[in-house]
Amino acid sequence: MAAPPRHVSMLSISNSNTGAPQSASSDKPQTPQPSPSPQPTSGLRVPSNRKTIYDRHLNRSRNAELSRASFAYLFAEMVTYAQRRVTGIQDLEKRLNEQGYPLGLRLLDLLFYRSTSTSSSALSSSSTSSSPPNRPLRILPLLHLIHGPLWRLLFQRSADALEHSVSPDTPNEYMITDNDPLVNTYISVPREMNMLNCAAFIAGIIEGVCDGCGFEAKVSAHNQPTEMWPSRTVFLLRFGDSVMEREKVLERNGVK
Amino acid sequence: MCAHPNPTDRAGGLIYQREFQAGLRKLSTNDYLVLAGTFHGVHAITRSITPKLPLAPSTSPVASSPGTTAPATSGYSYPNPGVPATGLEFLETDKFHLTCFQTLTGTKFLLFTDPLTGNVDTIMNKIYELYADYVMKNPFYQLEMPVRCEAFDRHLGAWLRGRT
Amino acid sequence: MSATKASRIGEETRIDKVNAELVTLTYGTIVAQLCQDYDNDYQEVNKQLEKMGYNIGMRLIEDFLAKSGVGRCANFRETADMIAKVGFKIFLNVAPTVTNWASDNNQFSLIFEDNPLADFVELPDDGRAQDELWFSNILCGVLRGALEMVNFASPFPVQMQIEAHFVSDVLRGDDTTEMRVSLVRYIEDEMPPEEE
Repeated sequence: MAAPPRHVSMLSISNSNTGAPQSASSDKPQTPQPSPSPQPTSGLRVPSNRKTIYDRHLNRSRNAELSRASFAYLFAEMVTYAQRRVTGIQDLEKRLNEQGYPLGLRLLDLLFYRSTSTSSSALSSSSTSSSPPNRPLRILPLLHLIHGPLWRLLFQRSADALEHSVSPDTPNEYMITDNDPLVNTYISVPREMNMLNCAAFIAGIIEGVCDGCGFEAKVSAHNQPTEMWPSRTVFLLRFGDSVMEREKVLERNGVK
Repeated sequence: MCAHPNPTDRAGGLIYQREFQAGLRKLSTNDYLVLAGTFHGVHAITRSITPKLPLAPSTSPVASSPGTTAPATSGYSYPNPGVPATGLEFLETDKFHLTCFQTLTGTKFLLFTDPLTGNVDTIMNKIYELYADYVMKNPFYQLEMPVRCEAFDRHLGAWLRGRT
Repeated sequence: MSATKASRIGEETRIDKVNAELVTLTYGTIVAQLCQDYDNDYQEVNKQLEKMGYNIGMRLIEDFLAKSGVGRCANFRETADMIAKVGFKIFLNVAPTVTNWASDNNQFSLIFEDNPLADFVELPDDGRAQDELWFSNILCGVLRGALEMVNFASPFPVQMQIEAHFVSDVLRGDDTTEMRVSLVRYIEDEMPPEEE
């Protein structure tokens, strides 16, 4: 809406995965007098046993697991809550998308942090060489990042398919398929809402990752059930014109 | 096997009904509603007519120890005071068995089976688990309302088919 | 049921898992959304979180009973152990300590060593959040909703009305995270009117 760069309008609350620059100030000896100099001191109180996020390793929860039921309840409440404040299915999906978006931004940081700290080539799948900057510059490496590492971080497996639109009219469209999205496991959408796919939340996460990498995109989730996979979902990624133009320039310059 | 797991809500309203044996003569929806309501009433009556023994004075200190107090204290108690009366759990005719499983939340599951069907408890537990998963975790299901959850139908059907 | 038996059930109940960070981040995004929707009126956010928890609790109890297979608790002390050692263990993989019993045995505290919901969380530095927001308030509602659904103590089937609130939180700069749980009253299960 009124705030085009969405991540600027994000709340500062919670889950800041991005390291600890400002915590350093609390280590300094406190000067008692109210100094007028505008220090970047955090005004937050911290426990005396220093149980703050800055004192605990970011990788500590790396392989941690929690009950799938707990996630299902939280997600269900998110859907219920969103439903109370919207007028239609599209609106509901938009809201779920917006709830996923900040997760995408945060998970992106987490992915980069972990891929560099472990020195494994988890991020650079087939297309990229072993070049040090692991932020994807082209669309394909970005898609591989989503299809592989992002999906594995979230769902412990890769996505099921990655395709490029076959239509010459829509070269900016890509599809990522999940045969059985985790978020929809326990959800049965009522018949009168059968267009709805609550995996719009995941679409929001993908959108956050794309935006965070500098690839403006719109991502939506669509039901594509098969006999075998009744909740099969296709995530449609549509990249913006600026991205497509940059893509051409990079192609000419041989950037991969 | 012929099975109708029928969860009814706390007030005895039928919220789900399904047949797993194709070709049985159908009961009407109304028949099922009446059946559920009647069973609910009978269940409550069987619970309330459970015989009670006079409370021996020597047991009262136990009952009144702090933290173990239950609300009403009368001069009578069930034969085994630690276990509440359950109400009708099983009904048998020549042709079928009716098993009632009541959860601690008061939901009842009624299962009609062929007298030869074994392991009814296992079936009940599985149905309860599937209900906890595919009904209670579905944001579009409203508590106490009729269950219309496609994933519940699908998983329940698949599991029962896998058993036969 | 003894506390040790409760811990064993908590350990042994089979649980489907997901990545813990997905849960943590999803919860964070819910709280952030509420703060946004209610213009950082943290009292209101607390209330909404409790309400969400209540809705969850009424549903979660079925999963708890179906998967753990536990029976009735005989009294509130057993209930406390069941909550801490089975409930929290199953759903959050933590086992808070049950302590600070009131003399009438109707009130206790849960002390959380770890709280996965609040992992990686720092409250907004706006001078108010640390005084007003209870970040994990959803848990209070979960307990209230879950216990209200159960036909609880013996010998008479009753439901339990409880009240829970946080009294301290490491996110607020406190040294512990403590939730106070009080038994408000037992609600007697109503028999349908006899029809003769």
